[in-house]
Amino acid sequence: MNIYQPLLTTVTEVVDETADTRTLRLEFQDEALRKDFSFKAGQFGEYSVFGAGESTFCIASSPTREGYIECSFKAIGKVTTELREVNIGDTVGFRGPYGNWFPVDDWKGKDVVFVAGGIGLAPVRCVIWNVLDRRDEFGDVTIVYGARSVDDLVYKRELEEWGSRADVKMVTTVDPGGETKDWTGEVGYVTPVVEKTAPKADNAVAVVCGPPIVVKLTLPVLEQLGFADDAVFTTLENRMKCGLGKCGRCNIGPVYVCKDGPVFTAAQMKALPAEF
Amino acid sequence: MTDTATAPVYTGVDDLRRIARELLEAGDVRVIIGWEAARRGARPVFVSDPAETDKLIFDTRCVHNLVTYLNPRRDHVAELGKIALVVKGCDVKAVAGLLRESQLGRADVVLIGVRCGGVLEENELPAALALTPETVAPRCYGCDNREPTLTDHLVGEPQPEPPRPVMTIDERVAALDGQPLEERWAFWTEQFGKCVRCYACRQVCPLCICEQCIVEKTRPQWIESSAHPRGNLSWNVTRAIHLAGRCVDCGECERFCPVGIPLSLLNRKLQDIVRERYDYTVSDDPENAAPIGDYRLDDQQEFIK
Amino acid sequence: MSDRYFISDSDLRGLAADLLGAGTEVIAPVATDICQSPSAIAATACTLDHSLVDIDYRALTSADELDLDRGLPQLSLKGYFLPEHEALCSWKQKGTTIEVEEVPTEFAARVVLAAKPCDAAALEVVDKVMNWDYKDELWNGRREATTIVNLTCPMIDDSCFCTAVGTAPDDVKGADGLLTPVAGGYVYEPATDKGRALIEGNKARFSGDVEADTLGREADDERAASRRRVAANLEIDAESVRDWIDTHFEDPLLSQLAIRCNGCGACTSVCPTCHCFDIVDEQEGVGHGTRRRCWDTCQAPTFTLHASGHNPRDDQHVRYRQRINHKFAIYPLKFGEVLCTGCGRCTRVCHAGQDLVEILQAIDIAARRPGDADPAAAEPEEAAS
Repeated sequence: MNIYQPLLTTVTEVVDETADTRTLRLEFQDEALRKDFSFKAGQFGEYSVFGAGESTFCIASSPTREGYIECSFKAIGKVTTELREVNIGDTVGFRGPYGNWFPVDDWKGKDVVFVAGGIGLAPVRCVIWNVLDRRDEFGDVTIVYGARSVDDLVYKRELEEWGSRADVKMVTTVDPGGETKDWTGEVGYVTPVVEKTAPKADNAVAVVCGPPIVVKLTLPVLEQLGFADDAVFTTLENRMKCGLGKCGRCNIGPVYVCKDGPVFTAAQMKALPAEF
Repeated sequence: MTDTATAPVYTGVDDLRRIARELLEAGDVRVIIGWEAARRGARPVFVSDPAETDKLIFDTRCVHNLVTYLNPRRDHVAELGKIALVVKGCDVKAVAGLLRESQLGRADVVLIGVRCGGVLEENELPAALALTPETVAPRCYGCDNREPTLTDHLVGEPQPEPPRPVMTIDERVAALDGQPLEERWAFWTEQFGKCVRCYACRQVCPLCICEQCIVEKTRPQWIESSAHPRGNLSWNVTRAIHLAGRCVDCGECERFCPVGIPLSLLNRKLQDIVRERYDYTVSDDPENAAPIGDYRLDDQQEFIK
Repeated sequence: MSDRYFISDSDLRGLAADLLGAGTEVIAPVATDICQSPSAIAATACTLDHSLVDIDYRALTSADELDLDRGLPQLSLKGYFLPEHEALCSWKQKGTTIEVEEVPTEFAARVVLAAKPCDAAALEVVDKVMNWDYKDELWNGRREATTIVNLTCPMIDDSCFCTAVGTAPDDVKGADGLLTPVAGGYVYEPATDKGRALIEGNKARFSGDVEADTLGREADDERAASRRRVAANLEIDAESVRDWIDTHFEDPLLSQLAIRCNGCGACTSVCPTCHCFDIVDEQEGVGHGTRRRCWDTCQAPTFTLHASGHNPRDDQHVRYRQRINHKFAIYPLKFGEVLCTGCGRCTRVCHAGQDLVEILQAIDIAARRPGDADPAAAEPEEAAS
């Protein structure tokens, strides 16, 4: 067994979130692993379709849920196109958990604000459930999530579930033109909706993830609202292969995204050279 | 051994420098790409300052085909501004190729031709050597473009033919052709076994201009990326075929290969086939369309069954 | 100070023969008399100067092949520890069931004779990334199985600069022992248990008689002379260079120095410390295939290309900057070692004229004397053509 050899999982659930985005629930084939496998919110894995290769996604389920892991991805390349064809009962390889994680324990007693766009909700969803599964350890929970259109919203069932909870402030938005006739959520890009929602920065942390443009535009808004750079967390993606710091591909300046990341504070991100 | 031959004396270097300086001073051209003498021999140089045009040289070490710097993917070269390129007869055929394939407009580049009588196999020498059968680059033999026409300026005096090398590329190709199939297969398997898939051949080739090379396509994966003989054979042969009728024989792919695969043999063989079948030879006339990009009613088509 | 032994010319070849006879793989420089140009593939003489005869590290089939002329092998030892392509695992699929087959991580003991110190030192440098938390069993397995005996290098030419980057032509970094040529043979100094075991297992070939004032001094003089020759090629303050690169990411100097680069990646192939790799799945038949890693290069346009089409490094000068950055700033910051051992291969193989000696000189000047920073200042006087 070497560090590049994948573990085997079986697909137990498949949800097509949108036309090109899918969530898989995976259970380790090895019984001991099913019980013992643990990870922290924010970590990622290398998921394989044997014959096509590996692809890098965060673990989208919460570490508080045992016995399975989930991943969500957009079918955009060679491996993800194959992953979109797998069925319940198929085998998917997994290597991980890799990378660093959101310091959720440090947030006890604080308000937590989640901002996500499109498929960027996947890594954030992991943290959301992590927080909600330990709900009374944290203060107010605010979630602002947007996508291009109603169809493009991912985790639709969970958006409803979060929206129906009294202890969560859920704001869902679609881009102008993306709304349907019976849409009751917000209409607008994520950033102005965050501005409008105006979450309090005092004793709060923010988690932001999404397409680069969403992150780029949201950070200054949070700064204006009073969030300090080290209280804002994001997760970066970069092209990866080994996932464990050897193949030399994912570095941004001296930072290896697979080891020093993928979770970074806004302060750390600002210190990175313009190479991502 | 080298005393008996006379080195071609490449005159016109003063004219080259003067023309370069004048072009830069006039302001339209922003950078001259030519050759200079450096620590390890001749190498490409990018001159933007008229006062530095004295760096430009032309001698038997000026092997490089500078047309590779016109490749559309080289954004950071394009950003320097309008280019004046120093070209030998073989090099300028590649410009014709780019024009033929609409990768370049004629007015986009100024071409300063040099009359060349041949170059050495290697540029990495402290001083230019004379051309002898042992030192001359085999590809120079039989050069048909010592008086290039696709130029805006042409410097130097007409040069004699390059000397005949110890063994010409055609002779080597013929020798290989004369071997039975198993021996040829063994030869090429050994050669391609050396390949480390650095893609130096592709990167330096002035006519490898595809935005996405076939070897980079993953859906489907046409060519395996690992450096084993199966993948290497696939890569090298595919690339040679994609250059059939386009390759100008500048020899850069072979020169750049860090493990010394004799690519000029492959390229020459394909040129022979194209000449035989389509009566076509690469020249510096951009109007002369290549078989790969052109169809004629009298093209041979007995292979269509 | 370790013990010194003497081994004669014929005994060194005899040692190779003994090892081969015992079934041990022996890797050593072998001169290939096939010159790399079409005019010489025929049985006629090589047209290139014989000082450029091609040498490669090969597994010997006979001790006669061993080349001790101390020329530089074209490719480094890297391929013997991180092969150009290497199976990571393979799989068999039946229906939805997949069986993954392991690959061995233990390897038969083997010996490298007459290694270049720059090549051996590179292995120790790369050991760091291969072990910084996850241990790469394939790399480590090969390292553990191999005994490396260096041969003091006379310096190849003025593109060598091992002494400027923390090693030397007589170093044993990454190796197990050192041979230095003296009259009639070599002085051998073991540096590790493996290096000593080589003597223990082959006592007849080595003699303990190394007179400190004759052969001993000859060896010392040879080593010191080599070091002096190399040091004359380049001296830099590696820490200043590291800090300058780290704080001048956007400096135009780095783009200017990259201008000739074609992005071919030949430099990364021949480099003993470049270790970046790709991982690919290769379907080899119905229901079975192999997952391999293979050499990759940061100089390739697709190295950092995202599936979305976004490419953080989409132009050549940016990719070239990454190479310099990784080798002389990032790796030293993370692992305390320069990711370069000054072998000079990249400079020699670059047919576009990129010259690492010139580049390091220019950065060193920029780091230490900012007012003098000008790439032209590092170039020699124009040679008469």
